[in-house]
Amino acid sequence: MNRIRKLAIVALACLALAGCKFVPTAEKQKQASANSAQASDKGFDAKVAELWDAKVMPYAQARAGLFMEVQTAIKADANAAGAKYGYKEKEGSAPWTLLARIEGKIVAANTQSRAATIDVDADGDGRADAHIQIGPVIRGTAIRDSLDFVNFNDFTNQIDFAQFGKAFNTHLNGKILGKLPRDGLPDKSAAVLGAFPLPPAGELPLVTPLAIEIKP
Amino acid sequence: MMKVTRRIAVAAMFGAMAFTTSVSAQAADLIAIITPSPDNPFFKAEADGAAAKATELGYETLVASHDDDANKQSELIDTAIARGAKAIILDNAGADATVAAVQKAKDAGIPSFLIDREINATGVAAAQIVSNNYQGAQLGAQEFVKLMGEKGTFVELVGKESDTNAGIRSKGYHDVIDSYPDLKMVAQQSANWSQKEAFDKMETILQANPDIKGVISGNDTMAMGAIAALQAAGKKDVIVVGFDGSNDVRDSILAGGIKATVLQPAYYSAQLAVEQAHDAIANKKMPAQEKQLLDCVLINADNAAKLETFALK
Repeated sequence: MNRIRKLAIVALACLALAGCKFVPTAEKQKQASANSAQASDKGFDAKVAELWDAKVMPYAQARAGLFMEVQTAIKADANAAGAKYGYKEKEGSAPWTLLARIEGKIVAANTQSRAATIDVDADGDGRADAHIQIGPVIRGTAIRDSLDFVNFNDFTNQIDFAQFGKAFNTHLNGKILGKLPRDGLPDKSAAVLGAFPLPPAGELPLVTPLAIEIKP
Repeated sequence: MMKVTRRIAVAAMFGAMAFTTSVSAQAADLIAIITPSPDNPFFKAEADGAAAKATELGYETLVASHDDDANKQSELIDTAIARGAKAIILDNAGADATVAAVQKAKDAGIPSFLIDREINATGVAAAQIVSNNYQGAQLGAQEFVKLMGEKGTFVELVGKESDTNAGIRSKGYHDVIDSYPDLKMVAQQSANWSQKEAFDKMETILQANPDIKGVISGNDTMAMGAIAALQAAGKKDVIVVGFDGSNDVRDSILAGGIKATVLQPAYYSAQLAVEQAHDAIANKKMPAQEKQLLDCVLINADNAAKLETFALK
């Protein structure tokens, strides 16, 4: 009896593991879980994997605007633009995090740093309009922060909330960015669906992709 | 160690200016402000910010320190209840140990507005206004990684274990730093937020690791202890990064000592807590969301001169 129950639990655990085994390099996964003891306990990586296709992508696709339109809207009224294309928590001082579709030529690539980025010219004037993060180090928690169905109040503490935010970046690295080419990026073009916190005046948005395609 | 500030006379003066004199005929409502020891300027800024806002809004204040002792905190909350406080502003003495004390105040009909540190429960406090320590720690770690040139050996000084902020900052640091395989942590020790303890620990660590290149610290007081030990050992080139945004670290940055810190808006958060308490007392309006994050700002040589008492001018 006891044995059967144990077997059932093992079987369930296997299923759960199978569901979240999307990180391509086992090494990266090992490193991530060694650094954060809380990570494995809470199952945030699996939760994000489950949410990604079911809720995150449909939400982002519905909410995102064309990048230049979003930029124009921000200039006119940042709060209205934020409410239309993005989200922020009801209290606190976090900026709006907005969702946009960006297409254009890659005018520069910084792949020396592990926090690699490409610069994309969205309006065709030859100058960069946004920095797109292509990993493996992803700064910030823009994907989590863009979602209106994720709220700090629903987490025990900042550590869990942070871990959940990090899980989106881990998923992004494993599923999407790991496959991107790293060489010869300038002069190719990029099509990105991404999230970015409202940048300080005079700075370009730092966009975290949810989907990205590099075309010749 | 309880300091009761009676500001009725002052309130009467302001009252005469702002309202009719009849306001001053009544005793003002009381707001209790309880923080860790003001020996750390961060907590002093909180207490000062809260008291100034409360006075401005016409309240009497009861300001006290629990000295990070959960029993003392419980006694102070009992006192606040007994004295009929209308709200409590609290930077608490432990994420788990504080839940019962705040519940006790709630049961007595007194809302608590927490600042700086979280408790491991929701629905007990009226508000938990905390710095976005993860966002701040990532800013500090990114600057640290840049200053280190993405490689070298380093030491991490961690804060007090009972405080969620110690864990979250360490996590924020490591979520960035551990992505760089050429950065190697040779020691990680808690100095319990204390300058003295950080000095002693740093001296010991240096004996075993004389060639470290960097120190990343969970707060500014520990960073001050670390830089003092490093300078005493003649190690002027070690990169030290702190967290809080204190005037001491500002001065060290401007003098070429510590390289960077992360500003937590301590003064503002305390004032925001009092404003929300006032809204609850005067208008029966509670914050839209209990748990509230305030973003942090990176401070380095570029903007340190604008820093004053945990706020950017």
